[in-house]
Amino acid sequence: MKEKVIEISHLTKSYGKNRGVIDVSLQIEQGDIFGFLGPNGAGKSTTIRSMLGFLKFNEGSIRILGMDSVKDHVEILKQVGYMPSEAWFYDSMRVADVIKYAADVRGIDCSLEAQKLCERLKVDTRKRIKELSLGNRKKVSIVCAMQHRPKLFIFDEPTGGLDPLMQKKFFELINEYVDEGATCLLSTHVLSEVDKHCKNAAIMREGRLTMLESPHIDDETFLSFYEEDE
Amino acid sequence: MMKAVLKRELIINIKNLLIWSICVGALGLVCILLYQSMKGDMKEMADAFSNMGAFSDAFGMSTLSIATLKGYFATEVGTVHGLGSGMFAAIIAINIISKEEDGHTGEFIFSFPMSRSRVLAAKALCVAVMLVVFTVVCTVFYIIGFKALGEDIPEEFFVFMGRQLVMNAEISGICFGLSSLAGKNRMGLGLGMALIFYSYDVMGRVIPDLKDYLFVGPYSYANASEIFTDADTPVKGLILAAAIFICGIVFAFWNFNRRDLAS
Repeated sequence: MKEKVIEISHLTKSYGKNRGVIDVSLQIEQGDIFGFLGPNGAGKSTTIRSMLGFLKFNEGSIRILGMDSVKDHVEILKQVGYMPSEAWFYDSMRVADVIKYAADVRGIDCSLEAQKLCERLKVDTRKRIKELSLGNRKKVSIVCAMQHRPKLFIFDEPTGGLDPLMQKKFFELINEYVDEGATCLLSTHVLSEVDKHCKNAAIMREGRLTMLESPHIDDETFLSFYEEDE
Repeated sequence: MMKAVLKRELIINIKNLLIWSICVGALGLVCILLYQSMKGDMKEMADAFSNMGAFSDAFGMSTLSIATLKGYFATEVGTVHGLGSGMFAAIIAINIISKEEDGHTGEFIFSFPMSRSRVLAAKALCVAVMLVVFTVVCTVFYIIGFKALGEDIPEEFFVFMGRQLVMNAEISGICFGLSSLAGKNRMGLGLGMALIFYSYDVMGRVIPDLKDYLFVGPYSYANASEIFTDADTPVKGLILAAAIFICGIVFAFWNFNRRDLAS
């Protein structure tokens, strides 16, 4: 039996009187590329941000790579590569400095892996962050998330702003890392990405999670989750 | 790892540090250098300024003669440095934590394998380093001024600079605590606080009823005219400053560790 990389049990998070997520339970096994679907505001980012320790959740527990997300927060982040939906960095920094900074803070030399990723994603490391388009900032974010070769990737809407060729290269990279033993949680609105690349999937609606029997669902079924939400 | 965050914070803030320290230091230097050209005409002016009642008290001119370099430094440079350093201390500390959420870089920095406390410690250390460098740069400027005039450096000068550093630390401690609140730019609040603290001190020296409560403000123990007239060390003010500073820092760590981070 494969190791459970993510184990979320009865997670509930609210923002004062506003709903966040309600009683979410989820398990993801090692080697999975897990599609995480759902309308805007359904609770996908809340779940991810709770996993990473950005949010203090009200109830439930989260274990990542066998460690407690609250107690072992720092140890978990050593093994996680996270790409937020909005790839923001310090404007005045050069791309090369951002990538090196991300490695330095982790206390490891990632220069070879970073160089390989920059070449494959065609990242211009001499430019300043403020000169980059959203797509190019996303590519920098991908490099920062991948260069330390983490055991778990968490991507929050990673392909928005990327051109089709870069999207293809991005998924090639994910597949390569997963083949080497990594696991990937992919939060997205793009059904075709889930259909093509994911092994399992779940959809969130109004803070609640529903596991899908298969990641290969048709457009109408997919959209019905969104419509019912309105 | 903490070193990398500290280094990055220092690089991000170095322009601010250079601008403020050179501006305040150079302004103080110019004030000192002007002393020589004004020295001859200052005797009458000093007499007039020392007899202006509350105004003279507020700016220390009733106890110190601005016709002497010590008195001139205390009243002129003391005011320039006090205001300039207080404003600098406030603006560097008030945004140092909140800028991450305000600038949407929070998810980048807080997804690194570091506890929030360590990130905050690096930021607090950055503020401390900047305040010390600011004080050293200004001190060098003022010493150049004294040397250029061929005057000895007054003994009280280093006490004054030391107390100003403590005052800066107190203001930055308060602002550091405020910076831990949900992230948004509070530059105006920081500058306003520094000015309010300064105004409180000036008012406290003019209004008799406020004199007993002067020690509450951070400028009370860093007042140049008192330091240069060898007034007693304001122990009460310094103890309160240490307490407020510690409260500000502890609050920042406590609050930042307990709350949700904005994206």
